[in-house]
Amino acid sequence: MLLLIRGEAKVQSDMSLVVNLPKQFKLAYYVLLVILSLIGVIAIVVRLIVGIKVTALTSPIPWGMWVAIYIYFVGLSAGSFLLSTLVYVFGMHQYEKVGRMALLSALFSLFAGILFIWIDLGHPERFWLLFVRWNPTSVMAWEFFFYLFYIVAITFELWFLMRCDLASLAERESGWRRKLFKLLSLGFRCPKTAFERQRCHAQSMRVVRTIGIIGIPIAIIVHGGTGAIFAVVAARPYWFTPLLPVIFLVSAMASGAALMTFLYSFFGERDKDYSEIVRGMANLTLLFLIVDFLLIGFEFLVGLYGRIPEHVEVYRQILFGPFPYTFWVGQLMFGSLIPMSIASWRKTREKTFWLGIAGLSAVIGIVAVRLNLVIPALVVPVLKGLDTAFIQPRWSFCYFPSLWEWASTIGLIALVVLGFSVAFQILPMFGEVERK
Amino acid sequence: MALDKCKVAGSQRVGRRVVLEKVVTASAVFASLIAPAVLGDTAKASKTEEEQPAPKLPPPSPNEDPLIRMMRDLQKALKKPVEKRRWVMVIDLRKCVGCNACTIACIAENKLPPSVVYRPVLHEEVGKYPNVTRKFLPRPCMQCDNPPCTPVCPVKATWKRPDGIVVIDYEACIGCRYCITACPYGARSFDFGEYYTEDTPEIAPVEKAPSFEYHRTWERKGNESPIGNARKCHFCLHRIERGLLPQCVTTCIGRATYFGDANDPDSLVSELISKPNVMRLKEELGTEPKVYYLT
Repeated sequence: MLLLIRGEAKVQSDMSLVVNLPKQFKLAYYVLLVILSLIGVIAIVVRLIVGIKVTALTSPIPWGMWVAIYIYFVGLSAGSFLLSTLVYVFGMHQYEKVGRMALLSALFSLFAGILFIWIDLGHPERFWLLFVRWNPTSVMAWEFFFYLFYIVAITFELWFLMRCDLASLAERESGWRRKLFKLLSLGFRCPKTAFERQRCHAQSMRVVRTIGIIGIPIAIIVHGGTGAIFAVVAARPYWFTPLLPVIFLVSAMASGAALMTFLYSFFGERDKDYSEIVRGMANLTLLFLIVDFLLIGFEFLVGLYGRIPEHVEVYRQILFGPFPYTFWVGQLMFGSLIPMSIASWRKTREKTFWLGIAGLSAVIGIVAVRLNLVIPALVVPVLKGLDTAFIQPRWSFCYFPSLWEWASTIGLIALVVLGFSVAFQILPMFGEVERK
Repeated sequence: MALDKCKVAGSQRVGRRVVLEKVVTASAVFASLIAPAVLGDTAKASKTEEEQPAPKLPPPSPNEDPLIRMMRDLQKALKKPVEKRRWVMVIDLRKCVGCNACTIACIAENKLPPSVVYRPVLHEEVGKYPNVTRKFLPRPCMQCDNPPCTPVCPVKATWKRPDGIVVIDYEACIGCRYCITACPYGARSFDFGEYYTEDTPEIAPVEKAPSFEYHRTWERKGNESPIGNARKCHFCLHRIERGLLPQCVTTCIGRATYFGDANDPDSLVSELISKPNVMRLKEELGTEPKVYYLT
């Protein structure tokens, strides 16, 4: 649908279904996003006024859907960012056109992640205490600082990438767009002659490369560290494994690559490189999905073989517990088998439309991966009999998100998608200037 | 940190006393004629609130109630500086009948909402009918010497005091709940801000009554702390520092729960934990709990 936003995209060589949809769809798309975003904003306001009791969380299961969505978005962000470094650091220029898209999605995803963890706090108004009472022994406290650092790095990188385009757009456009581009270019002016312009471009790319190099370890810490938040908890055998941060990273890469496959397949520029880029992204997705599948498989095997009761019980809950479809449908079908088959089956692996569907499927499926990383570990009581010792709804070992949690989750995701769509439409995503 | 809190709390009380004294002086001429007794009582009440002399105990006798013995141990320990004390709890599982009186007394003492419980009693059924029995395991906070819950806190809102009690600064806690997931004993709860009588015509006034944890007065209103915070058993710190035993110890009908200073070799708890039939929960995690079970 985003394609419609970029209405001028040329139709080429592809059998994509979405290409020729009427313009009203763009309107409908935005109206839908705005309505959902409003619901999300209302849900946040209700949550802030009424308090955390609007959730279905309990004392034994204090982390639920919001935390899962938070790690999902942080993963999406780190994955997208690391993908962009393929272009800007490792010089894989065949994927040049994905670079900005990847960085933009990294920025918006991180905002989304931070938003979700912020509304999850019992006292959201006290977030600033993280600055003044920062605890160096807490992984979470470290993560907070890396998120901030990471946001700054991505913002700078995006600006340096686009500054020439923004400046020339500020000259070319008129009205509010002109003002906006002027503001975004921060007064930067493009040199006039082609030679100087090239030099300026080279200089920008050097800065971008440097930020990219610094960004690689940061992105790894941002998401590997988010995994470490869980992996250091010795009380939960399901989390307490050094493989967990690695799984976080690999599934982050998978979700990032999948998102890029989906976005580029449907909304990318349809020029001669188009199908090559989509196929390349899909292959990367396939690679990461396979590695992710293996790692999670190792976890299952080792966990089940160990036969430690509370560890095995977590796997029993995942496979045959009250919400088995999160694993069987979400994680296994959408997150692994469907995208893996599409990307490797002879009849679909060349079709950009199907590869886009594969990407979308993985992007959705990895939400289930995140849900299954957080919640099942908490469902199993840490002491035998704790689940029957105190019978209260808020001391229950069952959790299913409340209506407000669903509303805020869907609404906030819509808000972020809305922001991303607008930015995607307005900003020069594929490098307008260089080609002209 | 906790001492700072005491100071804050103390200064508030001074303020109240000053007011009280002013009232007393202003009305002295008139009031001294009518109600010296009443005023005297009020003044005395405010004084006890300030200094809290420990309750007077009878002289030691051979067959005294263990509660008296433990209170004597407690008062002895309070004379030492805080870092010389080492509070431990001993629970005799052979004496526990699973009545849950400690659970309820704790809820009443700390005015705990439905999502919070400091001391549940775990029940386990052993064997098959007719050879069946039930085992009970009260589970307060273990007050670990090596607590897994404190280092994970992103804002240093929870720490181990010099006397070994793990406390929470409600006003610093941002409510991220990392500590709840990190506790291997499930000893931490989250205050969702609910009431037992929530869907009835009126929330019972007793539920809205303030809690006096950490020597402070915590009113329950809006989203103010302790609502939105992690909460945990603190061995009734506000009681023990006033010379009283933790509420669960006082209330235990079978005298199955003991409390005292393990640094004092003559205390009852020291005697009990030097026996061979002592166990602690999840020793393998290296948390070094300060709650001992006699089996």
